[in-house]
Amino acid sequence: MSLARKIRVIMAKVSLDGHDRGLKVVTSAMRDAGMEVIYLGPFQTPEKIVKTAMEEDADVIGLSFLSGEHLSHAPKVADLLRNKDIKDILYIVGGVFPRQDIARIKEGGVDEVFLSGTPLKEIIEYIIENVRQKA
Amino acid sequence: MEDKFEKLARAYSEGAKSQKTFSGFQLKDVYTPEDIKDIDYSKEIADPGKFPFTRGIHPNMFQGRLWTKREVCGFGIPKDTNDRIKYLIDEGQSGINVINDLPTAMGVDSDHPLANEEAGEVGAPFSSLEDMEGVVEGIPLDKVSMSFNVSTTVAPIIVAQYIAVAQNGGYDLAHLRGTIQNEPLKGRYCGYGPSTSHIDLCLQTATDIIEYCSKNMPLWYTTNVNMYDLRETGINAAQELAFGFGIAIEYIKAALKRGLEIDEFAPRMAFYCSAHIDFFEEIAKLRAARKMWAKIMKERFNAKNPKSWKFKFGVHTAGCSLVPQQPINNAIRVAYEAMAAVLGGVQSLHCCSYDEPIALPTHESHRLALRTQQILASECGVATVADPLAGSYYIETLTNKVEEEANLVLNEIDEMGGMIVAIENGWVDMQMEKEAYAYQKEIENKERIIVGVNEFTIPPEEDMEADVHRTSSKTPDLRKKTLTNLRANRDHEMVKQKILKIKEAAAKKKDINLMPYIIEAVKSYATTGEILGSIREAFGYSYDPFEVIESPFK
Repeated sequence: MSLARKIRVIMAKVSLDGHDRGLKVVTSAMRDAGMEVIYLGPFQTPEKIVKTAMEEDADVIGLSFLSGEHLSHAPKVADLLRNKDIKDILYIVGGVFPRQDIARIKEGGVDEVFLSGTPLKEIIEYIIENVRQKA
Repeated sequence: MEDKFEKLARAYSEGAKSQKTFSGFQLKDVYTPEDIKDIDYSKEIADPGKFPFTRGIHPNMFQGRLWTKREVCGFGIPKDTNDRIKYLIDEGQSGINVINDLPTAMGVDSDHPLANEEAGEVGAPFSSLEDMEGVVEGIPLDKVSMSFNVSTTVAPIIVAQYIAVAQNGGYDLAHLRGTIQNEPLKGRYCGYGPSTSHIDLCLQTATDIIEYCSKNMPLWYTTNVNMYDLRETGINAAQELAFGFGIAIEYIKAALKRGLEIDEFAPRMAFYCSAHIDFFEEIAKLRAARKMWAKIMKERFNAKNPKSWKFKFGVHTAGCSLVPQQPINNAIRVAYEAMAAVLGGVQSLHCCSYDEPIALPTHESHRLALRTQQILASECGVATVADPLAGSYYIETLTNKVEEEANLVLNEIDEMGGMIVAIENGWVDMQMEKEAYAYQKEIENKERIIVGVNEFTIPPEEDMEADVHRTSSKTPDLRKKTLTNLRANRDHEMVKQKILKIKEAAAKKKDINLMPYIIEAVKSYATTGEILGSIREAFGYSYDPFEVIESPFK
């Protein structure tokens, strides 16, 4: 598919967990795939992430979790997007957490969830197929 | 689609998957006496217990004493951690290993507005002396070896809390056996970020512990240079050693600058290594590490005491080698890694639980990790003879190869001006990112096979559902209440007085050891966040690393 503009992605972690290996690896893969990544890194708040996504006119928000806070923090970004009536941002989550939690994370308003070990190609393809083209 | 019997024929005729080690060293089909003919046994290998200790730091290794079986634990409220410690003791562990939660590591209390939800989530909260009292409740401190897996600038406060509990309980500090990780420089790569890892503050707190404990706690390990966490970022075996030694050298330089003699503190420095998945390479790495360290201490730092030359280390099996797919397979990976650690001459061992890439360990998975160690210690015969693999053409070749490669990296760091320069100019970050991405790409190209991930896979719906340890959702509220009560019931004037004394001492920046002041403040039930925040302020940083709360001690 040909894109009028590069896909813009915000990559971040919320809360106090700084395990950023996965976030960085996925960021590298996105850049290699021609996406433009605004890398916020760890220690971000949901508010800051959504604000940045709006300012940067992002197409995708990617969040990574490892330390057990995925169920409490993942929905917060979705809630903010909903409250601001933002429908054209694809919101994905990845990391280390129980597989049993995937359904609950999605119920919280996340479009797709990728467990650690997911091939990078799969994440890239998912984004390209599902990104909501801006008008 | 490949037919069943074509698949069988392919599997039958399959050769070895790789002719490289995990770290990418090219290997031959076979090693012979020719490969090791130039190695001088007495200089480069030597008997166990003799310089350069390639074969181990003790002449009889495990016949003298087995490694310490030390499973990391910590979660929930202090009683949860205390219960888990006692459970692991009942199950036969021989040392205690407690890890802090993320708020504590970042130097904030459980009731911090940004931290409350994570109080007790992946470690034990140590917001005040009260928490330490709860964690060690009922444990005779002079009879156990206690390890605090606490690396950041908060480490002196955790040691001070332990010291305070011991002193209040009438124990002699000289009898306390254990380890504080005290490794703030690696913190920025392993979860904590630069806003809690200012270099000048890192060197102050690290040196304070090294100095205070060397002088007052002769059985205590004052630093546990965390090569393991560095390795988990994706770097290879040689880089693990070089980065770790690069960091250790910075702590040594800081302690010497403080006026300590090398032999005063070097004998109580230790290391925490990874045991990754390449069996022989990891054994070779641990042997090479001993040799390198002995030479660094003797030749670079002129240490005279043989105890200073000895590379003493714990091992954490490689969490990043474990995968959530078919998770029970991880138990096998951990067993091989732990065996490599034992054959590498380990002093203390933490085996990951098979559910490590899913959640915190359950009772059952924690016990299995401990049983893995016990099987190695009692059944497999790997803990009988010291360094049984010495003399292997392959192992000796590989040991030299890892040493050679690690020295190249260490030289590069030295030429840059040392590890602190390499950290500050972003070189270390770059190496880690490059290696981690290359590793992932190798998996996706199938240059690396991970069973259950890119070969021998099963659909997720057929996979086992591991039991998940979930920390109680009540913890954050309980923690908030605990801190509210503490702040309401302590002697405010006393707390303030002790805090101001710390600030005054820290502000002078004249190599004043802050430990005695911290111990006093801890005894007045000043909180961890209050103490570290005040030291941060004295160093010119924000009281709160997240810049949300203000110091109450204006």
